[in-house]
Amino acid sequence: MPTDFLIVGLYLGLMFVAGIFFSRNIRSTADYFLAARSAPWFWIMGAVWATNIGFLHGYLAHGGAAYEWGLIQANFEWFQGPFGYIMSGLFFIAFYWRAGIYTVPQFLERRYGTGIRTIYSFAWIIIFVVTIAAEFYLGGIFLKNILRLPFWPTVFVLAFVVGTYTLLGGLGAAIMMEFVQFIIMMVGTMPLVFILLNMVGGFAGLKGVLLGEWGISPQYFSVLPDIHHPYGPGPWIILGQCLVTTLGWCAGHQSMVQRNLGARSIYDAKFGYVAAAIPKTLGAFLYVIPMVIAPVIFAQRGIFVERADASYAKLIFNLLPSGMLGLFIAGLLSAGLSSISSVLNSTSTMIVKDFYERFLARGKSDRHYFIAGRVTTFGVIAVSMLLVPVVLKAYLIMWLEQTLLAMVLGPFMGILMLAIFWRRANTAGSLTGFLVGGVFAVMLQQIFGINIFFQISWWSFVVTFLATVVVSLLTQKPRPERVDGLTWESDFRAKLGEVLSERSEKVAVKVGPLDRPPLRRPPWYLNIKYWATVILLVQVVLLLFFG
Amino acid sequence: MKEAKGADPKRVVAVQMFSIGVILFVLGGVTLLLSDPPAMAPFIRRAFLISIGCIILIGLAFGIGGLLRLRRVKRA
Repeated sequence: MPTDFLIVGLYLGLMFVAGIFFSRNIRSTADYFLAARSAPWFWIMGAVWATNIGFLHGYLAHGGAAYEWGLIQANFEWFQGPFGYIMSGLFFIAFYWRAGIYTVPQFLERRYGTGIRTIYSFAWIIIFVVTIAAEFYLGGIFLKNILRLPFWPTVFVLAFVVGTYTLLGGLGAAIMMEFVQFIIMMVGTMPLVFILLNMVGGFAGLKGVLLGEWGISPQYFSVLPDIHHPYGPGPWIILGQCLVTTLGWCAGHQSMVQRNLGARSIYDAKFGYVAAAIPKTLGAFLYVIPMVIAPVIFAQRGIFVERADASYAKLIFNLLPSGMLGLFIAGLLSAGLSSISSVLNSTSTMIVKDFYERFLARGKSDRHYFIAGRVTTFGVIAVSMLLVPVVLKAYLIMWLEQTLLAMVLGPFMGILMLAIFWRRANTAGSLTGFLVGGVFAVMLQQIFGINIFFQISWWSFVVTFLATVVVSLLTQKPRPERVDGLTWESDFRAKLGEVLSERSEKVAVKVGPLDRPPLRRPPWYLNIKYWATVILLVQVVLLLFFG
Repeated sequence: MKEAKGADPKRVVAVQMFSIGVILFVLGGVTLLLSDPPAMAPFIRRAFLISIGCIILIGLAFGIGGLLRLRRVKRA
């Protein structure tokens, strides 16, 4: 145990020192909020995945759900997540990146006007602050249970370390740490699945025990179960979760998108997002499959588990030797810290760019906003820490977060799809659609008593979509500056122009030398569309085996 | 608002690479030194050594790569 304690302490210390070392390079708001637009695609890949994995969405909560419900939990890793990453990388990120924005609400303002930017940004800031508080709470509880550390001092140490490097280094430091955390999670915690499979005699041995001896339903091994499944009916997973919630999360979650906005080129932004689908797919081997095997291990060793979300910690604590346990704890902490740092940085970006710069301090110097970013980061940490004691005890706060997510994701996906794929969508239509969809989501939850998150998202998406189309058609066409360069049609026209000019250049080569260099294209093995196709084919194969 | 002169993106990536390398190498090395592989069960030992070896190697590669990039940036 002292060994594990030392390893965790060293890990936190190294991150703290590296954060301070890196922060000396940060001088402007673009450095602070967009990492000097320097990140190559592999940084983006690691950072996007690490941002996505936290205590809430990863080892503890997803692992716990897999322990309780089986392989269905892998639909996030084998189906929805990769789909969301690839679609966002191929269809949405290019528009954000080209618009030269800092936040997703800024894009909505360019396309639809100021009202939607304010509403969307405000909702996400509340969701983010509650998320940070919940992550701190879970981190403190996790270390208290596994290393017997006192709760509050542990939470303060975590907040100090992650707060320092995010506050000083901004997005660049956050991306750097997220890449470290990506490696530690991916390489450090991967052995568990092999150890467990070895203990139960492989997948066949596991199925033999669970289906044969214990008589568990075969749906325990199904990623997309039938419509009567109480936890996740297959059709609703596809409609509500995959097409709306997950895609909305990937394309509209400021933390996820901001990593791509910090890319050094549009190619790196797109390819980084598409490539993140690879670690996402492998994530099932880190915390879903081990927790599907866990009941057999617990039964073999006579271990009693009180709560599903404590099962992962209990498993590694009882199974792994000292030293290796320390590395696993570092891996799990990585999940939480990466999530906190990304959300922290994004919250301060949204507060400064969407509110402070617009309403409180217009036309100040770049340095002013840079310092405001740091002060805001500190403020967000302080508010989140104040929320920690009540975050999981007071159901009101979690209810608020869930309601806001349900209100935001469905309507957001509706107006975003129309923003990019339908030139005719306008300000009046989008504002009406967003508000009607949001109110409809609350009505479904509060009046009709529907508590299945992805059903709410799907129906609020449909209502938003229809309301936006109807109101847009009844009102004036959007002005050219609201659509040029921001819609798929204008992008297609620009690409067509590029292809035509390239052809004319080829003709010109025969006549004389060209003034400008030929267009540079990545080699075939780094072609985004090839990789996207291969990854999607892997998902199809996995679904055929485990569907 | 005019943006202030920012950091050199190449230097930012070099510093990030070097820092990542140092963290991974030191963490992997210290974990290996503090743990007791002979006392582990054979399969767990093998899995642990492969995993920790990979972390150290990745750390080494990033550390050296970052250092070389930093030198190149300084020279430029």
